[in-house]
Amino acid sequence: MISIAMATNRSAQRPNGAPQTKVCQFKLVLLGESAVGKSSLVLRFVKGQFHEYQESTIGAAFLTQTLCLDDTTVKFEIWDTAGQERYHSLAPMYYRGAQAAIVVYDITNQDTFGRAKNWVKELQRQASPSIVIALAGNKSDLAAKRMVEFEEAQAYADENGLLFMETSAKTAMNVNDIFLAIANKLPKSEVSTGGAGTRVLNDADAPRASSCCK
Amino acid sequence: MKMAHSSFSTVDEYGFERHDDFDYESYEDFMSHYLKVLASRAQKWSTLLGEGKSVKRTNTVKRYVRKGIPSDHRPSVWMAISEAEKMKESTPDLYQKILDGPFEKELVDLVKTDLPRTFPDNIYFSKEANHQTHLFHVLIAYAHNNRVVGYCQGLNYIAGLLLLATKSEETSFWLLKVLVEKILPDYYTKTMDGLIVDIEVLSELVKSKVPDVHQHVINLGLPWAVITTKWFVCLFAEVLPIETVLRIWDCLFYEGSKILFRVCLTLIRNNRASILACNDFTSLAECFKAIVKNASALHCHEFMQSIFKVPGTLSNSTILKLRARFAKQRREQQQKEHR
Repeated sequence: MISIAMATNRSAQRPNGAPQTKVCQFKLVLLGESAVGKSSLVLRFVKGQFHEYQESTIGAAFLTQTLCLDDTTVKFEIWDTAGQERYHSLAPMYYRGAQAAIVVYDITNQDTFGRAKNWVKELQRQASPSIVIALAGNKSDLAAKRMVEFEEAQAYADENGLLFMETSAKTAMNVNDIFLAIANKLPKSEVSTGGAGTRVLNDADAPRASSCCK
Repeated sequence: MKMAHSSFSTVDEYGFERHDDFDYESYEDFMSHYLKVLASRAQKWSTLLGEGKSVKRTNTVKRYVRKGIPSDHRPSVWMAISEAEKMKESTPDLYQKILDGPFEKELVDLVKTDLPRTFPDNIYFSKEANHQTHLFHVLIAYAHNNRVVGYCQGLNYIAGLLLLATKSEETSFWLLKVLVEKILPDYYTKTMDGLIVDIEVLSELVKSKVPDVHQHVINLGLPWAVITTKWFVCLFAEVLPIETVLRIWDCLFYEGSKILFRVCLTLIRNNRASILACNDFTSLAECFKAIVKNASALHCHEFMQSIFKVPGTLSNSTILKLRARFAKQRREQQQKEHR
């Protein structure tokens, strides 16, 4: 069972006598074609909600969510970006300095898988060399309309050293898991990996760290 | 916690559902005052329009527009004070002709994807309600009419709000056309050059008018583009409270894109203290989400008065000069990258 703290607003309570835990903040960006479910994955992860019709994202939306690993609290600063091709020129702003990226495609749409591969290439070329990239084949609840085979995506992910899961923001399948897998893979040492956003904080310095790590 | 809200419905006058966290108390406070303003403005406008004159671009009309166009008159006044009316007169059957088709499949797919994702919390757009069909017509007609723009995400919110305000497909089409082609620079083209340039222009204006905020935002590492892309692309639709957006659009149709900078600068200047109080990236990002929803953004009448005072002098020539400067920089940058 993954424990997820709803520490997304300013009024989150300070830990009450919780043991000293390391708090790490990471910048994570979601990329992928329009309408593959980027915002829905974030909404499911951050608020546990799903809307059949999620508003199209313009520019980007910013949210935060905190995950607890054994001895570390991982706080994600999530940038959920617009998918339409013409917003592409704005994307570097969002993945610059990101420690993690989720590249999303829709398993019922082959074109979106092609676009996801292009995003992976761009990240490998332009983003921080140590970036952790996860590939998410979303809308797995629509398996009857599948156009992208699991094995094909898995093989591609293996070749490129990506984390890979098929997810469903609708049913919540693998949504927390993919964020957790990323959190586990991210380096949590005191040594910064060079990304501008890595900050290892003491609990005392983290006003919005939640008390999820008991 | 839900407040008692006897006088206000859970759906606003434009069909938007009010969420559980809607602050009825602040809204009641605002409306009790604003209803009086609306009543007084309605009377003045009916006198102005009652003289049988068509609305001309005069200083009186400009002053009236700044104080707000009554919602009943918005469609005709927006058409008259912008160039939309003239455009329509030159090709009166354009809209109907485009709708006779045929349509390109690629554009149809692109537009259709966004139909259920435009104002899903508005009763006129949710499910198969008729505004989705109207929205499809306006967007697909415009995409075929202007091939350079085609369909750009964000236009769905502008066309959607035009439909809510005018209740007419054809009027919405012409107003969308005048916005994209006459009022705004190239925000919606494939490279969005005009948008990227205007964000640079804003950054420069903040630097000169509110220098401490500019420095603070830079220090915390938040690019202005991250904060303001949606402000510019949606012309504050889906950003500010709806009544405030419509009041901004009143001035936008009359005075042009300069108004957008006035609004941005006012939001930033009015909230200077809370922006400067943020001490990290996350709190700053949250702060910029909050300032577009606070009481000063809701009180549209005072807000619209303040946009002509708070940012100080802002001439068209300043904006044009800055646009030219940053467009040139951008071209040089692109040439360098291509070499």
